[in-house]
Amino acid sequence: MNLRADHVAGGAFVAFGALIIALSGDLPTGQLSMPGSGFLPKIVAVLMIVFGLALIVRAREGKPFSEIPWDDGKHALLVTIITAAAIGFYIYLGFVITMTLMMVALLILIERRNLLIAGTYSAAVVLLAYVCFTFLLKSPLPTSPLGY
Amino acid sequence: MESTFFSLMHGFAVAMQPGMLWYAFLGCIVGTLVGVLPGIGPLSGISILLPITFGLNATEAVIMLAGIYYGSQYGGSTTAILMRIPGEASSVMTCIDGGAMAKKGRAGAALCISAVGSWIAGTFGIIVLTMVAPPLATLALRFGPPEYTSLLVLGLIFLAYMSSTSLVRTLLMACLGLMLGMIGIDNMTGHFRYSFDLAELGDGIGIVPVAVGLFGLGEILSTPSANVVGEVLSPKLRELLPNREEWRQAIMPIARGSVLGFIIGIIPGSAHIISSFLSYALEKKISKHPEEFGKGAVAGVAGPESANNAASTGAFVPMLALGIPTGPITAVLIGALMVHGVGVGPQLINEHPDVFWGFVASMYVGNLMLLALNLPLVGLFVTVLRIPYAYLYPLIIMFCIIGVYEVSHSIIDVWIMLIMGVLGYGLRKFSFDPAPLVLGLVISPIFEQSLRQSLIMSDGSWMIFFTRPIAGGLLIVSALLLVLSAASFVMKRKDWRDKLAEAEAAES
Repeated sequence: MNLRADHVAGGAFVAFGALIIALSGDLPTGQLSMPGSGFLPKIVAVLMIVFGLALIVRAREGKPFSEIPWDDGKHALLVTIITAAAIGFYIYLGFVITMTLMMVALLILIERRNLLIAGTYSAAVVLLAYVCFTFLLKSPLPTSPLGY
Repeated sequence: MESTFFSLMHGFAVAMQPGMLWYAFLGCIVGTLVGVLPGIGPLSGISILLPITFGLNATEAVIMLAGIYYGSQYGGSTTAILMRIPGEASSVMTCIDGGAMAKKGRAGAALCISAVGSWIAGTFGIIVLTMVAPPLATLALRFGPPEYTSLLVLGLIFLAYMSSTSLVRTLLMACLGLMLGMIGIDNMTGHFRYSFDLAELGDGIGIVPVAVGLFGLGEILSTPSANVVGEVLSPKLRELLPNREEWRQAIMPIARGSVLGFIIGIIPGSAHIISSFLSYALEKKISKHPEEFGKGAVAGVAGPESANNAASTGAFVPMLALGIPTGPITAVLIGALMVHGVGVGPQLINEHPDVFWGFVASMYVGNLMLLALNLPLVGLFVTVLRIPYAYLYPLIIMFCIIGVYEVSHSIIDVWIMLIMGVLGYGLRKFSFDPAPLVLGLVISPIFEQSLRQSLIMSDGSWMIFFTRPIAGGLLIVSALLLVLSAASFVMKRKDWRDKLAEAEAAES
């Protein structure tokens, strides 16, 4: 059997539906006349399993899993890692330091831009955003231990 | 009718205040830029800029955010015509003939026809909205929980029916959205659901992190800068006026696009995208020279551009009159109003007349602003389009993080945004449209509450949905749509949805 994209997608939804039902064990379903907090989640989880199975049944009409293009995968992975690191440091290092480092990392590691241009551009837009949010919009951004 | 007129005049008194005019202007400019820039759609634009409105009152906020929405419909055409890539999804059809007109040296005329068509359609849409929304809201005041449940079921089925992906895929996305919407404290019993002892999840998952993640970050993850073409045509100001023959060819497609777009706008789904496709198909079908389509037909620009603007106005009817979003953008707008303490629904007109009528009146003004701004500023937009994407997307990621964090100052929300970004990337790979997910997330609390209230009212009998005429009628329409969808599947017939999917795939 050729593995199709919809086999994988359908399987994932069936598994997710089953996981929801498992996690809903302690939520009361209640009765029809007084539905509990687990009533709708369980219905939706069952629907997810049914639709997931429908996707698997019709998977033959879809494209093979091997034909899904992953040529942008490296870009996606690097952007995700750099963004995750920035989120991790955001409230500890503050807006200015974290965002400047994130933008420099994106421009140098992924886009292979010149360090000087990348650094100047990143610092300029980050400072502009900082001034706009902090002073014009009065919407404070996280600050570093150094106070900015 | 007379009271509508006086209420509208009151709305103009609100919308013409200098502060309101400024925010409408700002929304229109930002919206046009959002539409012009490939990779940022109106949804991510509105979501990212939502925190900026926190310091404003509800009327100023909704005027600015709606300006971004309809402004983006104007802006999308600029990129479609000058670069032949859609600045945002609803401009896919404009790429075909707009791009061809530009190649023939008629880029200026295409931009002008698109702007005038957008203005006419937008203004037509607002006039109809002004007349239709108040009586619809009065009717909706009679709705009880069973009617709301049926209406939301119809909305989801309609969305699935209209979607260019399959019915099963759309329903799966809607289910996932409903599921995400059930995370947090259950309003009726106080139970914590799926919050894994994280206090931040007690209030549930917000619309903003999900929308920004799926549409903003998700788009960036799947768009390496090497794939973004940078060739931009630059029309001269004196080339902007179409000739008499081009005007003649544009008039009827603009009129048809306006009516068609508005009707489709009211229906749930990505109306502005679907309307432009249907308008293009209609113009090609009734044209005396269908062979010109694809080679620079004026009707191929005028019709779709008018239709997507009318649709974006039409989408405000169910939002304002019923409090029901027809798509993810109106869902985020409802979220924005709720952040400002304004509940959306049939009571909006009576409880917040300044917000409702000020908003409606601002759209008349905003559309006029867009017409006046778009053509003279085309040079500026061309300059913006020349900024390399490699420098643009780090900036967008920064705004995504600021936008999400500033809503509730919660870093958990920013992590949710990242997870949603990765999910959005994965969903695109497997040909899922993430829009129904956002819709499911928004309607989840209303749907669950009205369903459970209905069952409590009927002492557990499902018949309550069939014995009440409005609820029953809505469910019958839902059933008909499901039958139609099943019939099209069984007969393996290619309908307009398949053609839309093909057109979108060809242009992306």
